[in-house]
Amino acid sequence: MTIRAADFILGGPQGGGLETSSQVLTWAFARAGYGIISDREYFSNIRGRHSYIHAETSAFELPRALRYPIHLLAAMDAETVFTHFGDLAQGSYLVYNVDEEKSNFATIPSMEVELRERLRSAFPGIGVDGTLGSLVKYLGSRGVTPVGLDYASILSDAQGKVGIVASQVSRYVSAILIGAVAALTGLGEDYVSYGLARRFQRKELYEHNLYIARSVMSQVKSKFGSPLALEKPSIEHSELLVASGNDAVAMAKIVGGLRYQSYYPITPAADESFTLEEYESLHGDGLDSEVVVLQTEDELAAVNSAIGAALSGARSATATSGPGFDLMVEGLGWAGMNEVPVVVTYYQRGGPSTGQPTRGEQSDLLSSVFASHGEYPRIVIASGDHEEAFYDAVDALNYAERYQMPVIHLVDKFLANTIASMPVPDPSSIRIDRGKLTGNVSGTYKRFDMSSPISPRAFLGQAVMWYTGDEHDEVGHITEDSENRVRIYEKRMRKLEIADSEIPEERRAAYYGPEDADFLLLGWGFVKGAALSALSELSAQGLKGAYLHVRVFSPYPSKLVAGILSRFKPDRIIAVEHNYEAQAARLARMNTGVEVGRSILKFSGRPIYADELVRAVKSVLSGSRREVLSYGA
Amino acid sequence: MARRPSPTDYRSDVWNDWCPGCGNFGIVAAMYQALAEMNADPRMTVVVSGIGCSGKTPHFVKVSGVHTLHGRAIPFATGIKLANPKLNVIVNGGDGDLLGIGAGHFVALGRRNVDLVVIMHDNQVYGLTKGQASPTLPREMQTKALPKPNIQDPVNPVALAISSGYTFVARGYSSKVKHLKDLIKAAIEHRGAAFIDVLQPCVTYNDIFTYDYYDKRVYQLEEAGWDPEAKDESDAVRKASEAYAKAFEWGDRIPIGVFYRNTHVPSFEDRISARLPNYLKVPPAEETVDRGGVPVMDGAAFRKAFSEYIVEVAKG
Repeated sequence: MTIRAADFILGGPQGGGLETSSQVLTWAFARAGYGIISDREYFSNIRGRHSYIHAETSAFELPRALRYPIHLLAAMDAETVFTHFGDLAQGSYLVYNVDEEKSNFATIPSMEVELRERLRSAFPGIGVDGTLGSLVKYLGSRGVTPVGLDYASILSDAQGKVGIVASQVSRYVSAILIGAVAALTGLGEDYVSYGLARRFQRKELYEHNLYIARSVMSQVKSKFGSPLALEKPSIEHSELLVASGNDAVAMAKIVGGLRYQSYYPITPAADESFTLEEYESLHGDGLDSEVVVLQTEDELAAVNSAIGAALSGARSATATSGPGFDLMVEGLGWAGMNEVPVVVTYYQRGGPSTGQPTRGEQSDLLSSVFASHGEYPRIVIASGDHEEAFYDAVDALNYAERYQMPVIHLVDKFLANTIASMPVPDPSSIRIDRGKLTGNVSGTYKRFDMSSPISPRAFLGQAVMWYTGDEHDEVGHITEDSENRVRIYEKRMRKLEIADSEIPEERRAAYYGPEDADFLLLGWGFVKGAALSALSELSAQGLKGAYLHVRVFSPYPSKLVAGILSRFKPDRIIAVEHNYEAQAARLARMNTGVEVGRSILKFSGRPIYADELVRAVKSVLSGSRREVLSYGA
Repeated sequence: MARRPSPTDYRSDVWNDWCPGCGNFGIVAAMYQALAEMNADPRMTVVVSGIGCSGKTPHFVKVSGVHTLHGRAIPFATGIKLANPKLNVIVNGGDGDLLGIGAGHFVALGRRNVDLVVIMHDNQVYGLTKGQASPTLPREMQTKALPKPNIQDPVNPVALAISSGYTFVARGYSSKVKHLKDLIKAAIEHRGAAFIDVLQPCVTYNDIFTYDYYDKRVYQLEEAGWDPEAKDESDAVRKASEAYAKAFEWGDRIPIGVFYRNTHVPSFEDRISARLPNYLKVPPAEETVDRGGVPVMDGAAFRKAFSEYIVEVAKG
């Protein structure tokens, strides 16, 4: 018997090798032809707190959402089992360390107090005495198959056979998880070896890990077989790009001609800049691509040096998250006032203040659209998945230069830290649009020539020009003249009308589903995957819904959105968002006048899972006005 | 310009609205002279400023000008310069701008040694907001507009620049225009972060540090036999320490001139070009990123560069 898709969780202490397990399995499943998506959930912590990877691998699609309950939990430690046992489905498998059976939840110091209290009140009712062994026994009685492995003896066997250094033994627990997952899902040894070879360039590390993974595979297979074996993959791709959202954006920026990136370290944005730095210098076969990546002293310097680089003529960007963006707002206003093409890649996380630095949220939409004193035009793009993030990152650079204004590219932590499989992008399908450029100017140059809203742009070095954050004349000198103020104010603002008339609304919002749908989900960002997955499940149950995905919030695709919203009754339009206020729904009403009557919201910091969204949609269709989701550890 | 330019060639047509007698006039006059003597290409020269009276400087100079935000002139200038190191970039900022709201950037520039010139208009007050105490006003001083004497200690700009890593550190006096002009020229010629603290009387709000006050006290370091040079890398700490101590000489005698110069520290541009081999030849601002709208990075180059992310699906 085979299954079409499997959801599994790998859990363990932060810094304990989970990412290695996930990376290797991701490559291995992709190599075998399966689609995969894998979300990393972690604390703001370097070592020791509970983190986990939740992944779905599919034989028939490139998966775009995660769901519960899961088929398999592979635990590095007891805390993982105590945290996730409720996520296990009937007929699922639990891989755990038999050595830890005596471990009691009450004495695990890294566990948060709230979870400990919940377990304390739940365990007596289900006859669990607090130890891992007792919990495993309970799970066994509820249709979960425990796969108990003795981690210590597996590792000491490897120590004897392949000569692992004793002090390094704990680094190999990841290989145990890899072996167990591969065995249970029927993933072939060749693929595991492929994943390990990619991960470990050092031959002995590869061999040690392969030895452990193999021995676990044979141990597990001989006792349990491959009960979660996936059916033969039917995805038509000869190759896949497997990357996090951070990395997809970094690659896109390089293809898109980015030549200057500044940043100040902040989660979950910083990985993008590291990747850019890794690929800062690419040469050969006619390519000479060099990107200056500058780590600045703060976000004020990050945004303002990026603006300076743009004035010199480099395609320029910075990447940040909420607290950093707040510091950048004054600089963005300067860029708006001076018509500077600069891109801010904005990785949303849980706010306000420090909020939940490593958790996801979409609560910075209104801030992106409105942040500023005074008024200036800006473009705000929000990506729904890895592929969108890739192409949006290129378009952000294009729009910035074509319309000579700042562009905010919204991504969220879910997308940033999720590793997904996607078709390999085709650069020949990409266009680079640098907008109106003058080249060298010998005579008088008017940077803000008012003969059209978008003035021909010279770089510093090509003409003598002036810029100022004060209101200015065509040349760029300060003037407070009232008539000039009105003319140049209108010139600036009208650029957004031009962008609105030029960028097709279909590029800015997309409708998924049948024309005669009975209800509409209205969402944005990473909600897209869960919404589309939920709709296909709902449709299988006879509920016919559609999804309206808004991808550009400024200039807002008002006509298209208004046209679609007006086809539905207000109580059949459901906002689905990762925030409290249903921010995108507010913008929809502001721009279209149509009321969005219902909402499904999640602000726990964890992604929306397809299954909980299915349930919430049903609740709304049967009368609930607002559903707040909270599933996920 | 075929003929040798004169200082007036660098004066813009914008009416200068600084107070009559403002010390800034001496600074901008020294800039006109320095640019003329160096035959500076107006297109390749960029004056970057922050906010306040000094912030208006770019508008009065006929080279490119970027009048930025309060405290942020250095980050703007850093981005401008790093994207196109062929530009000659000169920062003008006030003491409040560079050492108050922008102090973090001031320190960071020293660490990087970017080839920029920073001219600080040091008048101990915030002029344009009507005379509040700036970070260089000594404690217990009560300049004209202050309701009470200042209770904050001053920062020593020269000492801070030295300890931040600036490789050219000088002090000028706006009334000694020729001397200041020579300092500006030397700062432009220096390859690395150059700082000039310019004593600049605010005739409206500072009734303590006046022309009269400085005229009686300033003396030129070079005339007193001061040698600012760090001879080699190993000499840098000794020279910097001496210059640091010298920076605190204040009172009856106030030194102006070059305190410290170290030509043995690689500029930030050199550090970048060690990683990006084409950087100085084809800087980011001049790099071709597309051919007729198509990215220079084609499919093959993408696959090669990012092979680490690509998984070939096994056949079978």
